[in-house]
Amino acid sequence: MVFSRLFFLYLFLPLCIISYAAAGKIKHKNTVLVIFSLIFYAWGEPMYVFLMLLSAAVNYGCGLLIGRFKGRFLGSFSAFIAVFYDLLMLGIFKYSGFIAENINTFFHASLPVPDISLPIGISFYTFQTISYIIDCSWEKVQPQKSFKNFLLYLSLFPQLVAGPIVRYSTIEKEIENRRTSVSDLSNGLSRIILGLSKKVLIANQLSEIASNILDNIGSSSVIGAWYGAAVYGMQIYFDFSGYSDIAIGLGRVFGFHFDENFRHPFMCRDITEFWQRWHISLSTFFRDYLLYIPIFGKRRKYGGLFLVWLCTGIWHGASWNFIIWGLYYGLFVFAEMLIGKKRMKKIPIVIRHIYSKLVIILGFGIFYFEDLGKLGRFFKACFGFGGNGFISMSDKISVVNNVYLLIAAVVCCFPILEGIKKLGDKSFALKSAASAAGTLACAVLLILSSIMLVDATTNPFLYFRF
Amino acid sequence: MSENTDKLSFDEKRRRRKITRILAAVNILVISLVFIFGFVYLLFFKRETVSNEENRNLTKFPKFSLSSYFKGEYTSAIADYYDDTVHNRSEIKAFISSHILPLKGMSYGDDGIIIIGKTYSNEDDDDTAAVPPTEPATTVSTTEAHQTDAAEVTTAVTETTTAAVTSTTIPDNKNPEANGEISDGIVIVDNRGIMLFGGGKKNGIEYAESLNAYKRDLGDNVNVYSMVCPTPVSYYLPENYQNLTASEKDNIDNINSALVNVTPVDAYTALLFHKKEKIYSRTDHHWQPLGAFYAAEEFARVAGVDFAPISSYNEITLEGYVGTLYGYTKSSALLNNPEQFIYYEPKTEVNVTRYNTSFQNPTENCSLLLNPANMSNSSYYMVFGGDEQITHVSTSCKNGRTLVIFKDSYGNALLPVLTSSFENIYLCDLRYFDLNAVQFCKDVGATDLLFSMCTFSAVGVNHDYLEVNRTR
Repeated sequence: MVFSRLFFLYLFLPLCIISYAAAGKIKHKNTVLVIFSLIFYAWGEPMYVFLMLLSAAVNYGCGLLIGRFKGRFLGSFSAFIAVFYDLLMLGIFKYSGFIAENINTFFHASLPVPDISLPIGISFYTFQTISYIIDCSWEKVQPQKSFKNFLLYLSLFPQLVAGPIVRYSTIEKEIENRRTSVSDLSNGLSRIILGLSKKVLIANQLSEIASNILDNIGSSSVIGAWYGAAVYGMQIYFDFSGYSDIAIGLGRVFGFHFDENFRHPFMCRDITEFWQRWHISLSTFFRDYLLYIPIFGKRRKYGGLFLVWLCTGIWHGASWNFIIWGLYYGLFVFAEMLIGKKRMKKIPIVIRHIYSKLVIILGFGIFYFEDLGKLGRFFKACFGFGGNGFISMSDKISVVNNVYLLIAAVVCCFPILEGIKKLGDKSFALKSAASAAGTLACAVLLILSSIMLVDATTNPFLYFRF
Repeated sequence: MSENTDKLSFDEKRRRRKITRILAAVNILVISLVFIFGFVYLLFFKRETVSNEENRNLTKFPKFSLSSYFKGEYTSAIADYYDDTVHNRSEIKAFISSHILPLKGMSYGDDGIIIIGKTYSNEDDDDTAAVPPTEPATTVSTTEAHQTDAAEVTTAVTETTTAAVTSTTIPDNKNPEANGEISDGIVIVDNRGIMLFGGGKKNGIEYAESLNAYKRDLGDNVNVYSMVCPTPVSYYLPENYQNLTASEKDNIDNINSALVNVTPVDAYTALLFHKKEKIYSRTDHHWQPLGAFYAAEEFARVAGVDFAPISSYNEITLEGYVGTLYGYTKSSALLNNPEQFIYYEPKTEVNVTRYNTSFQNPTENCSLLLNPANMSNSSYYMVFGGDEQITHVSTSCKNGRTLVIFKDSYGNALLPVLTSSFENIYLCDLRYFDLNAVQFCKDVGATDLLFSMCTFSAVGVNHDYLEVNRTR
């Protein structure tokens, strides 16, 4: 099921909230959430819901064993089994086709290429189970004793299929002890609407511009290629951060407080900072669980770094362009590490902004083209070797036809709401006025987004495919 | 600088907390009201069943089966049904077109061109694919200067059957520069939607080779013709947008150059003479029946059969026609400027039998044209019916000629205006045909076989059906 559908917004969600409110005690509320989460997942994946339940059972059981056999072989072995199982499932369902294809290509073999459809959200919930097992093993959290509560953590529908990757430690206490305050409900609903608007009013509209240009990269001009990739980058940002906003907002409605997943990434001054602001739950996952594992000896700082970026790329998809994309960012982070923070700061800020934006835009080009031939044409077009001139009329027309949308998208990349909040801190009257205006804006945005959804064909969130 | 709240009195703090809580409660209330309204509106108001502007029936509530459930199809279809059949859907879509989508930006230039979607990609063109034929390519050869270079050129048409040479002045096909919008491969200019053409010379050669194979299989007793129908982009695209599209004329010429013993029919030039008339819909991607009439006239001339003048038909005009291009573009320019749909009903008597796509289950004594008053939607198909059938028309023209037409939806409009030219006509859609096409032609005693489809089909994926049907 997709958040940006009328069916979800005006049928599933109201029924879920009403049932949740009527449930009374927290254990009943949790039961309601588990049931609705399983319905939510099974709505699109009636078979793969069993795979998720199996994953929950394995990791729940291993978690209990880790708790029971702390510091002993059986505890470590249980952790190994759980992580191995998680990675094996991910490998089978996400990468087996890709691996077989490449073995056939590089070794002239003729392995059968499995045709397995990707279970929705497997990359997200698998990373959640891995983080849980490792945290149990490192004794950062206590293993969850109730299977229902563990299932709630894993299957909680706000973050089940497209993140953010919520750590068990983040919501450990709230699973059994939480309440939704008036402020939680108000902020949660507003956040849902903000996310929905980002997706429906901005990302969906930008997607038309980006695909029109990038799907036709062979005839794209220099400006067209850069413009298409830049618009695609904004589309992904509004799409994915919109989803995260809805997830965080839904969490608040049900009394959970998830961490932020995006902090205005295009405000970054270098690539290292970009990844501190973009898909934070993924980058912190790799930072905490992969960067410092001692497999590279003395060079683990750099070896770990490239391993992280390789994994970041592969996590996004079983395709060479994602691997290139990960290593591409790894290279820039590595270069910035060599230059050093102090020397980076001495570079004029304008230069740093231009440098980081150009790298990011090219990065989105790599992200877009799974076909490496087309990726090559994209690079040719970007650097003037595409043979289609510097700028074309269709580029100009596209900009003019969408000028207000593009301006709105760029403006919304800046921390506007944070600015308004800061303004509100100066005066209570201003804060109250902003709050009232926010209510009005939310109502208008919800109505507008709903109207647009009447006209939308199914347009799933991009990160569903991961 | 932030306000220092520490210095506030207890009462003031309490007052502020209270106001904050009230504002949050109001926020919850307002948002909840919108959700409640949406819940009631979407669940209890009458659901729509048909979308006229999109020319389709809306999603129906699915039937349950274990198989569809476990594939995820049943649940997805329920959500589709819920989202697709919203009460007053057409009005809401019209509101989006008129009031929301224009907020995205401005029209380019003074006259407002909008382009929707992809423009011409030269990736599709493969000049090396233009293989010269091994035999004289055509029985009809057309020599003309590039029509955009000169307003007046002389065309020599040599036809082997009549050996006639005609001299004709080709009209100027240049259009003044204009401005508008582009979206989804569609230019909207002067309240007309024009689909940009991607071209595909390699596919064009494959199309021609398939037709050559049909001719070889059918032998000398069956005349085979190729009439690739141009679309509005050939006639109405302003000069300043010509570089956004491939040339349909070049692609048709490319096809004709590879035909062997298959007779090309030059619908392009025939229509060019009438470009100022209503030969194409402004709001639909099909031609108007008048365009089909002129193309059929050219085909009849090439085939050497009689052709009835337009005055011999009953002319019927439908008002308020808004075709498929509105559905594609959501353009308010199209929605707010409906057009007339004018079609022609033969006065002569015909017997029409409709079959399924396996030429089974005949329904006899059908109407040649449907009564649009009985149709709940407004489209090209409201008169000509759908594509998923084989139609046999037996006419009062007793010349012993039996015509089989393999067509896309463009070909539907040819049927009524060829009823005075052939004794029997079999109209088959190449996309919905479950028999061996060569054997079918032999079985019905075809004397003439016409392939008639628009350029998008001839060089697009639809051309694959030609070989599928021939070799099935």
